[in-house]
Amino acid sequence: MGEGRELGETHKMGLDETREMAADETHKTKADETYKREAESVAGDPLEERIARLTPEELKKALRVFREKINSEYAAYLNSCVHCGLCAESCHYYLADGEIESIPAHKLNLVTGVFKKYFTSAGKTIPRWVGAKEFDQETLREWVDSLFGRCSLCGRCSLNCSIGLNIPYLIRAARSAMVSLDLVPPGLQSTVNTAIQKGNNMGIPKGEWIETVQWLEGELRSEVGDSKAKLPLDQKGAKLLYTVNPREPMFFPLSMAAAGKLFYAAGESWTFSSENYDVTNYGFFSGDDEAAATISDRLVKSMEELSCKTLVLAECGHGFNSNRWEAPEWLGKKYGFEVKSILEIVADYVSKGRIKLDPSRNPDVVTLHDPCNLVRLGGIVEEQRYILKRSAVNFVEMTPNREKNFCCGGGGGQLAMTNFAERRLKAGKVKADQIRTTGAKVVVAPCHNCIDQLMELNKHYKLGVEIKTVCEVVANALVMSGSGERAS
Amino acid sequence: MPLLLRYGVAISFFICVAILSSEIVSTLAFGKRSRCAQPKSSGLRGVLYVFGRGMMPWEKESATKHPLTYFAGVAYHAGIFAALFYLFCVALFMGLGALTLSLLRLLLILGFFSGSGLLMRRALSSRMRKLSSPDDYASNLIVDAVLVLASIDTYFGSATHFGSVTHLASTTWLLLLVSIIMFLYIPFGKIRHCFFFFYVRVLVGQFYGRRGVLPPRPHEA
Repeated sequence: MGEGRELGETHKMGLDETREMAADETHKTKADETYKREAESVAGDPLEERIARLTPEELKKALRVFREKINSEYAAYLNSCVHCGLCAESCHYYLADGEIESIPAHKLNLVTGVFKKYFTSAGKTIPRWVGAKEFDQETLREWVDSLFGRCSLCGRCSLNCSIGLNIPYLIRAARSAMVSLDLVPPGLQSTVNTAIQKGNNMGIPKGEWIETVQWLEGELRSEVGDSKAKLPLDQKGAKLLYTVNPREPMFFPLSMAAAGKLFYAAGESWTFSSENYDVTNYGFFSGDDEAAATISDRLVKSMEELSCKTLVLAECGHGFNSNRWEAPEWLGKKYGFEVKSILEIVADYVSKGRIKLDPSRNPDVVTLHDPCNLVRLGGIVEEQRYILKRSAVNFVEMTPNREKNFCCGGGGGQLAMTNFAERRLKAGKVKADQIRTTGAKVVVAPCHNCIDQLMELNKHYKLGVEIKTVCEVVANALVMSGSGERAS
Repeated sequence: MPLLLRYGVAISFFICVAILSSEIVSTLAFGKRSRCAQPKSSGLRGVLYVFGRGMMPWEKESATKHPLTYFAGVAYHAGIFAALFYLFCVALFMGLGALTLSLLRLLLILGFFSGSGLLMRRALSSRMRKLSSPDDYASNLIVDAVLVLASIDTYFGSATHFGSVTHLASTTWLLLLVSIIMFLYIPFGKIRHCFFFFYVRVLVGQFYGRRGVLPPRPHEA
């Protein structure tokens, strides 16, 4: 992740083969990065070196940044933890390793300790008594290890908190302070940098993107038998602007093709942008509000330039949370257009009869993974269920599910932070066990970060399942009305 | 002296409220969080949920996995509210009927044993010890002391002397004294969460309510 790659090889292959290639490529990429990372750690941990070199002025600056990120809501949360410890079992990290450092209350303590020390009278006068912490190198070591390395910002602890503290947002505020100290783990930071510098998080050149869209358009035409079928690019005045995760054109063209086929079948007015199509926003994960705002603003600009009415976000959990809920706050403005998940759009097609589905085309047992940023933090809870129950014969729920779901372990930037890869896989055991219990052959995950993690869990825990997006399952069940040409 | 102690309770209570109010003001000074994103659902519905059904043990996995702790917490807090009510009745010379007194006594005793149980859980579990600061123990101890003294006082103390300005039972004496210490301690320790709790619940209710996460939507059959 975070580096440009050639697309040519993908183009030469059939759509089905690319799925396998994607899995291998994901592993290869991660293995390469892990190797690189291990080599680096032998030579010296760059974050540790950075921490050792921090000056008092830099620490003061970071503390100022931390203060700026704290609003009255966060301050109220930071004043309210009672250390009841009931959050422990809500965290997949703690369930996997049983370490104190993985308990959400402990992670939060690292943040509240600093808050108390510098921003409360008790913390200033009787610091040890109330658990206040100096903001120094030692604390920062703990912050990096726990707030980056043991948290996927999934928010499950918040729903289980006896008070109701919004723990992931407090941890993100602390990550923001680490951004100002260049203490973001290199893999995550390089993904943010690539998105800022190259316009998408995988550094796909514009020409390659356009070529991929055209290639998929050809595939769509032959599949639906309509030479006028289109995957429109830069169509001004289209109703929907559709965005994708750059992993789709790179490794998962099936997902893009599936969405295109659904739009075609519904006779939708829609378009891609040739410039800004990346739904992801790793600035959300790193805590870099400035970068996050820059990345999200590109989609806003495309919406304005193309005069579209609805920004439609592909199946990407954090992309949805970022662009639907957080970006208006980062940019400090109310949008003049709607922001919707592709799942809301497809559910609407199904309910209004704009597309016809034959669930018997998906005969295997299908289960659904709820991406945290889409469901618990995003509010897209029932749409995917409504769709899948009409697209597959045998749909079974995981337990727990919906807003109570367990994180797969791939969120919070974990997939990009290869230095914590071992922990991520271990923490994913909870999800692997959930999947195994369902007996499903197909796991549907409306999020490409989750898909990457689930693919790794699939291999690591030998689950023997197939992993798909919602649109892929729907596209497979799609009954085209006639085989002829249609106006699109 | 009895009157002085009663004044002491009132004064320490007002000091507590004044300091906590200033804490609230300094919290608000951190600035309002912007709300530019269009809500999907109603923040108010979320707030109503978190203060209602959302407090029920079956709604939270953390409560269903730890039912004893959950119910101890509920009993502890019910006891605290009973103690505060009792304390103000004593301080303000308000008489209590036998039935009310019995109910208060029950809540106070349950609250004391629950609070002591939670304190033991904190002290005996290595996980809880590592999460705790001295303040966690002190806050629990001081509240437990108020609960036990109030419980005893319902038997021996102010129940018979509510109207007396000049005489106080020794248990009432102790209760008022410890209460003064508690009120003066509240703004500096974790007991101040009592002030922030309701605000935080409103915030979290609004957060999930606006996003359409809470209350959970009815499931399709």
